Amino acid sequence: MILKVENITKRFGGLVAVNNVSFEVNEKEILGIIGPNGAGKTTLFNVISGIYKPEKGKVIFDGKDITGLPPFKIARLGIARTHQIVKPLNELTVKENVMVGACFGREYLDLDSAEKVAEDVLKFVGLYEKADLLAGKLNVPEKKRLELARALASKPKLILLDEVLAGLNPVEVMEMVEVIKKIRESGVTILMIEHLMHAIMQISDRIIVLDYGQKIAEGKPEDVANDPKVIEAYLGDPELVLKLTKR
Amino acid sequence: MLDVWIDSIISGILLGLVYGLAAIGLSLIWGVMKVINLSHGAFIALGMFTAYFLFAFGLNPYLGVPIIFALGIILGIAVYFVALHRIIDAPELSTLLSTFSISLFIIGLGTFVWTTIPYAIDIHVGSISIGNITILGTKVIAGIVSIILTILLYIFLYRTKTGKAVRAVSMNRVAAELMGINTTRILALSFGIGIALAMTAGALIATIFPFTILSGGVYELKSFVICVLGGLGSPIGALVGGLILGIIENVITLQIPTGLVPFIEFTILVAVLLIKPSGLLGGEV
Repeated sequence: MILKVENITKRFGGLVAVNNVSFEVNEKEILGIIGPNGAGKTTLFNVISGIYKPEKGKVIFDGKDITGLPPFKIARLGIARTHQIVKPLNELTVKENVMVGACFGREYLDLDSAEKVAEDVLKFVGLYEKADLLAGKLNVPEKKRLELARALASKPKLILLDEVLAGLNPVEVMEMVEVIKKIRESGVTILMIEHLMHAIMQISDRIIVLDYGQKIAEGKPEDVANDPKVIEAYLGDPELVLKLTKR
Repeated sequence: MLDVWIDSIISGILLGLVYGLAAIGLSLIWGVMKVINLSHGAFIALGMFTAYFLFAFGLNPYLGVPIIFALGIILGIAVYFVALHRIIDAPELSTLLSTFSISLFIIGLGTFVWTTIPYAIDIHVGSISIGNITILGTKVIAGIVSIILTILLYIFLYRTKTGKAVRAVSMNRVAAELMGINTTRILALSFGIGIALAMTAGALIATIFPFTILSGGVYELKSFVICVLGGLGSPIGALVGGLILGIIENVITLQIPTGLVPFIEFTILVAVLLIKPSGLLGGEV
């Protein structure tokens, strides 16, 4: 087990964004997190990566309690992430962006070694031809790849992917899914949030489902997909859904 | 008559480089931290007095530049943690007021200790004459020191790992932090460097003109005009802006009274803001 989340609760004023959520991520696993909009998925990522301090609960990474550590320390321990809304450093080139990840990541490389790592990673995600372009000039699918490259360059043990497939066309989704599979093969554990059901069902080993900040289901993709509680969260009335699917 | 013009232009370039140095500090602080540093002038004045006392103890102010720069970094970092760190994520008005209060504090204390009687550094390094044109050595050295410091700053920002972190933080603080950059340290360091540049510029100006603890305000305003001219957040833009302002200032005083200089400077400020708000060298805002 590489990551253990224990009874995490995060409130914003009166709103409980994440409510007593616990789960574990095994090494080299792809764990998917799904749930309707506002279910608390991104908040959960923000708690794990240290942007928010939880009111309650613990995050244990690699046997170490990382709850409440500043984000940069957590990043250096080996948790990298991508963002739902891409955050490239617009005035740096693509390669420089990735170098920043390598420079300040788990291996804390010097500039020369970072450049080599950056080139390798860019080839890996298929962005090498754009290496010298300013990051701000990329289109959205390319920016998503850049986020991924930047995260990978830090040589993480665990990578948090926040909707890397959103906004991509079907061909791009397929390419990205291949990249994600390759990342797992290279030995990195993946925790991913995704709305694109068929993709996440196909790629994940296990899935957890959040709704209104609570974990309502956990298990293999096919079990989760047929769980009445999950169907209710997504579609409202489960009996109605059953009627519709029978028809 | 031509000699007078050339003389003014050269003086303008040399002074402009020093103004540019102070403006780079302001620009760096804004670019990295999104803080409008209203204490810039106070630190420029503090740099003037530091140079004065080093000189009084027998140290040549130019040799004292590394000491003043180092002192500036230490002071800047200290001020960051005392007055800015806790409100760095607050709206810009909070940090603006905070730096203003630092300014009031320094100027108040300075007025108490040194009063507002003009001080001057009585240093002679000769002068350079070409034909009828004579340029004071102090201006020449001040200009050269400014260029050297600007080059060093560029090497720092574009050739070192910490410099890369500074640039990353200036573009997106949250993303930088998540990539493993200790943004608190980078913010403190940036403020330190910004203050160090202000104090060094002050020290250089003090070798040319007499000064009081209130003199910083004039140069702070120049810094703002220069930053707007060159485009906020761009060090090279700030240097070019400094050159433009230095030349304009020295050439127009041939024709009109010196008292009108601030008026002209602010006319330029307003004109640039109206016509090209991103600055003459600035890109997209």
